[in-house]
Amino acid sequence: MLLPLLLRPPLCLPQASAVLTRCVRMLRCGAPRGLHSQAKNFLWQWRPQRHQARGRSRKTQSQEEEWRNRNKTALTYIAAAGVGMIGLAYAAVPLYRLYCQATGLGGTAVAGHDTEQVAMMTPVKERVIKVTFNADTHASMQWNFRPQQTEIFVVPGETALAFYRAKNPTDKPIIGISTYNVVPFDAGQYFNKIQCFCFEEQRLNPHEEVDMPVFFYIDPEFDNDPRMARVDTITLSYTFFEAKEGQKLPLPGYSYS
Amino acid sequence: MSTAMNFGSKTFKPRPPDKGSFPLDHFGECKAFKEKFMKCLRENNYDNSMCRLQSKDYLECRMDHQLMTKEPLEKLGFKDLMDPPPSQAGKDNKA
Repeated sequence: MLLPLLLRPPLCLPQASAVLTRCVRMLRCGAPRGLHSQAKNFLWQWRPQRHQARGRSRKTQSQEEEWRNRNKTALTYIAAAGVGMIGLAYAAVPLYRLYCQATGLGGTAVAGHDTEQVAMMTPVKERVIKVTFNADTHASMQWNFRPQQTEIFVVPGETALAFYRAKNPTDKPIIGISTYNVVPFDAGQYFNKIQCFCFEEQRLNPHEEVDMPVFFYIDPEFDNDPRMARVDTITLSYTFFEAKEGQKLPLPGYSYS
Repeated sequence: MSTAMNFGSKTFKPRPPDKGSFPLDHFGECKAFKEKFMKCLRENNYDNSMCRLQSKDYLECRMDHQLMTKEPLEKLGFKDLMDPPPSQAGKDNKA
């Protein structure tokens, strides 16, 4: 069982395998000569190589030095490359952000989104978009929160008004804070709110009911975007959470830059 | 939605509104205007273009009652509904 393993020459030590095969053949043939003499023969094969190694040692010393130098330079290059890669990894974060802003990938707000545009824009009458409204509350939030219209038909470039209603059915004042979501994602970058009720604390007194308006428009560029060619429905979804006293929702920092 | 747990998928980034948040209308001062607007929407099959006048009135009400910072209406996209010459008042209502 073990014989074939021994006979298969190991790749790194061809000399050792030669010795092994010879040993095995000897055992098979039934060794007319003694093992002792065979061992001597094998040792002689090993020894001269050692003598040769000592003779060459002075010549190889300069070679070794050269190798050491080469190793050093190679190591410094590799170390520099490693440090460079780490630096690149850190630099990639702001660079990527810049790239995304320039190309508008990933739904980041494309720069040039200002109030002057609202005054100047013209509605694109041919493209009618249905905006549906959704209202949610967090599980522990006791408000009754719902939209006052399920859908509204708008065109890009035209400002629109929509209402939600919130009622506090409990006996104590509750402070709520909301956030929103727009589906489909890519349309979210064209959905601009001029004014709404999100991201700020809203306080409702006991048994109070209020109307909450959302004033928004869809960017006229929406019509020119090929990715939006098949988008006919946009869903605006608000979720209300209960706010603790004095707590502030961190405004999404990246969208300011 | 934005809670999808895919690594590297695009996430939705909510943006704050341009002009901030509407103060709540606790006393219902502009409720009448809101009711007119909703009625108009229901009658016109929820078409926003037909009810722009009512939405303008609602916002003007808010501005009058200090529930909204005063702004010229052109900045709010009502340029086409602004002060037309009296002869054309009727024609310019349809935005």
